[in-house]
Amino acid sequence: MIEEKIIKKNRLNAMLQELSKEYSIYIPAGENGDFRFCELRDTNDELVFWDYRNTRISPKEILFPHSEILYEFSRDESHQFSISQNNDDQRKMKNVILGIRPCDARAIGFLDRVFIGEPNERFVDPYYLKRRIHTIIISLACNRPQISCFCTSLNGRPDGEEGADIIAFDIGEEILLKTVTEKGKEFIKESSKWLGNVKKSDIDKKNKIFKESAKRINSRVSVEKVKEKLDDSFEADFWNEIHRKCLGCGICTFLCSTCHCFDITDETSADRGKRIKCWDSCMYPLFTLHASGHNPRPNYKERMRQRIMHKFNYCPENFKELFCVGCGRCIRNCPVNLDIREVINQVSQLK
Amino acid sequence: MINPYLPLPVKVQKITIENETKDLKTFDLEFCDKNDAEWFKYTCGQFAELSLLGIGEVPIGIASSPMDNRILQFTVKRYPIGVVSSTLHNLSEGDTIGIRGPFGNGFPMKDFEGSNLAIIGGGFALTTLRSLTKYIIHEKNRSRFGEITIMVAARDPGEMLYKYDLEEWSKREDIKLIRTIDREVDGWTGKVGFAAPVLKEISPSSGNAYAIVCGPPIMIKTCIAVLLELGFKASQIFNSLEMRMKCGIGKCGRCNIGSKYVCKDGPVFSYTQLEKLPQEY
Repeated sequence: MIEEKIIKKNRLNAMLQELSKEYSIYIPAGENGDFRFCELRDTNDELVFWDYRNTRISPKEILFPHSEILYEFSRDESHQFSISQNNDDQRKMKNVILGIRPCDARAIGFLDRVFIGEPNERFVDPYYLKRRIHTIIISLACNRPQISCFCTSLNGRPDGEEGADIIAFDIGEEILLKTVTEKGKEFIKESSKWLGNVKKSDIDKKNKIFKESAKRINSRVSVEKVKEKLDDSFEADFWNEIHRKCLGCGICTFLCSTCHCFDITDETSADRGKRIKCWDSCMYPLFTLHASGHNPRPNYKERMRQRIMHKFNYCPENFKELFCVGCGRCIRNCPVNLDIREVINQVSQLK
Repeated sequence: MINPYLPLPVKVQKITIENETKDLKTFDLEFCDKNDAEWFKYTCGQFAELSLLGIGEVPIGIASSPMDNRILQFTVKRYPIGVVSSTLHNLSEGDTIGIRGPFGNGFPMKDFEGSNLAIIGGGFALTTLRSLTKYIIHEKNRSRFGEITIMVAARDPGEMLYKYDLEEWSKREDIKLIRTIDREVDGWTGKVGFAAPVLKEISPSSGNAYAIVCGPPIMIKTCIAVLLELGFKASQIFNSLEMRMKCGIGKCGRCNIGSKYVCKDGPVFSYTQLEKLPQEY
């Protein structure tokens, strides 16, 4: 059963401060519109992120960090190596991500498919899984979507629930919390002393705000035929043109909330070292360079094609899901204004 | 839960220099922990990541036979820009390294049973084909397979891998072994010529048969053309592919050809599968 509860904005920090004894709580923090998810500090200040649009860096970094130590190793005097796994658990094990936008919450569901997979998956990423199972996602519905947002074209909505355990609605003085999963319900139960019951007027207020907000997303792309168009377009001339202005900087892939490619690399000093899993990008030539010198994706063209194909053809093939949630980060941050919406529209019009 | 990123320690028992250029070495590896050896069960055609702490990892096909569960063998080519392969080549017997795996699908051994096999290898791509050959000619397995034709192509005699095995195989009556080199060399008793024309000359029958081709891209391409000409259907032809890899478990996102990951969905693909994939390898 869905549960809806309400909490006053000015009481929320007190609740979180108490919960933070048990949970690491991540909230969007920043200024001048530049936000990033940070761990909640010990403070009496009221939370003020309600009007934030979205973070520049996607909150995927909480579950899939930019760099993560897989294990450390050291070498003794007889040159024998020993490996020690970092039991990162001086820190609290349980996480709450509060204020993640619905598009990014949905993206986490996609990352789950990659790193955890099906119940019978042969290999699971244990680092991701460990964080993921101990994380509660409380998304924050969007009152004011941005011009570059296009979630509604990709099965998303400014108040979409997919990927969240609880969805929060900013209805003015108060926050309305609606449970989505069992995990979310459990969390609401734990926090019940802070929460009040919802009145009909709260629901009406919520419905009104979010009817308006969905209307604000004017940017629409047509994705219905994208997968099948791309099935037959690997050799299309289109790819010769579309990459022309791309600088290959890779910012689109780093900021993307669904991009998940990574590198494994070693860092050493004297007789100690770390093996690190860190974000990588298909936009870089070294990504696929063989030791022999052969590179299956040597030019911008092939790399751009890989990025588009991976999102709109290969992932739909493997996971039955277009790997784009319409968050618009790649559009807002591309240094040469390459707009993925235009790419999608052009693909849709391929003969 | 298994942590697929953690390497298991193995001791380098023996290092064999395979060719005159000395850029191909075979490493015999033994698990430091007997339990790991029990756990590490592989099939022909699978690969593993050889892991050097502080240096990096490299995916290499397993060259030993699953019938020999004591020693794992890997033949590694040294590339000047390949940091891991270069470091591996500087190892000494007795050193300890790490291994992750086994990864990938391997050859469809059950399908191969009861059929004739044409095994075609060029250059140093003979590694997993050697695993396959050693497995099927093992006394416990030989009767389950039909006629075996093995064709090995190399630039010149000195570059031919596993000379000691080839010598042994050439003496067996239940294997047809053909060796070919690119150009005439004094004292050479095998064939002379590129793989494709020699393959055409020996014309293995396509009836109740599978052909497994590994080698440089140009060789694979030309040999597949010959095989199709000989009446092999796409579903009777298998290849093993290589790609730059990191994780080995289909997550890190770089070794794909179309929607298939070479590390997870491959490295062995039938030509039926390859025909459907983009030409990006």
